[in-house]
Amino acid sequence: MIVSTIPQFPDTKVSISFFEQVGNAEEIRSKMSDLSTSFAFVDPKMICSQEQIYSAIYKTLIEVNYNKMRTRNLNSECVLCLSPTSNISDAFQKFGIKDDSTELICLKFHNDTDNLNKEQLTTELSSIVTGVEIEFNDKNLSKFYDETLIRKIYKLNNQFKPKDVKDLSRALVNAIQLRGI
Amino acid sequence: MTQEFIDKVSSYLTQDISITPISQGAEAIVFSTTTHPYLPETKGSREKYIIKYRPPKRYRHPQIDQALTKHRTLNESRLLAKLHLIPGLCVPQLIACDSYNGYIWLEFLGEDLPEGYGFSNLKNFLWMHDKDPYSDLVAATLRKVGRQIGLLHWNDYCHGDLTSSNIVLVKDGVEWIPHLIDFGLGSVSNLVEDKGVDLYVLERAILSTHSKHAEKYNAWIMEGFEAVYLEQGAKGSKKLKEVSKRFQEVRLRGRKRSMLG
Repeated sequence: MIVSTIPQFPDTKVSISFFEQVGNAEEIRSKMSDLSTSFAFVDPKMICSQEQIYSAIYKTLIEVNYNKMRTRNLNSECVLCLSPTSNISDAFQKFGIKDDSTELICLKFHNDTDNLNKEQLTTELSSIVTGVEIEFNDKNLSKFYDETLIRKIYKLNNQFKPKDVKDLSRALVNAIQLRGI
Repeated sequence: MTQEFIDKVSSYLTQDISITPISQGAEAIVFSTTTHPYLPETKGSREKYIIKYRPPKRYRHPQIDQALTKHRTLNESRLLAKLHLIPGLCVPQLIACDSYNGYIWLEFLGEDLPEGYGFSNLKNFLWMHDKDPYSDLVAATLRKVGRQIGLLHWNDYCHGDLTSSNIVLVKDGVEWIPHLIDFGLGSVSNLVEDKGVDLYVLERAILSTHSKHAEKYNAWIMEGFEAVYLEQGAKGSKKLKEVSKRFQEVRLRGRKRSMLG
């Protein structure tokens, strides 16, 4: 698990956990209505880099602080911010956990007042997700992303041929930063 | 006046992000910082980023001011995002955009030239090579500058303020790769007029700072520019003819169109 802060918003912390060999995606999805308040579950097939996730986290905090919250909480707002469109249910379908997901990224926003206890959080997560936790880094992310799917959902035209993951990631950051405004 | 804005930016960014003002234009102030807006591991690294801030103008009605700032911040960011998708075109990467407050975060491009020649934009680069103005390096670099402009225009984008200081050179081995910056006045446009004006503005910029060698410099830029169009076959050469024709016309009358008739 990684806990980070966005320098511009020092009062908010974000914890990110990455799981592989997840066996109970369907079960998690059926409990989504209870869980969605405490965690955001993201499908790593749609994520090609750390930069992409962090960019959405930043965008979430900008939107919530300077514009308005469109969904129920910060966690769900972050899933919306990953999406290139403003359609909320669409964002969850595409970026959220799917019934056949075997990898999973769990995100959670914490206020400064919350006592962030890493151990407690890990225990809580392991009671929800049956899987193996791996480090959240670019190397691990690069194993699971699906470029064709990403290109389709972010509507990248065929003329654009990314040189590498970094170049692709940059195009996604652009889309995330410019969504819906 | 400026100090007031610097304080405002500092309080927006919180004390965790330190900033250095670089330049101020009519519409925006540009800062550099070593803190990435959201990536964690860059803290303490020597990487630099650009923050472009459009401060509110007090002579405008606050509501109109807010709408304009948002519109312009977004316009520039959108343009950069679209330009990034064009193969071969070099523009700074958009890192973050807060249109509600008028902030854009960009990738920092360029470096300081040796022997106190200042920042590595095209203007300073040409000064640095003033003693050997006809070297292969200068010719190659200017052709590449022309190519960048050609690519921009071929894809129907216009820069709007194409001067030699808005072209930044990034060193790659022994080569210099030109990047176009500052799309604050940029637009999507298929008008030959806008393209002609872009070329004219750059020609004048080079003529006024490097008049001794300007003719040769401009010829090299146009070589690169034309090459992009000619690679596109018959359609390209037809469009090139239109742009060149208008460019000649603009050159005769100046940037501003006559209001007569």
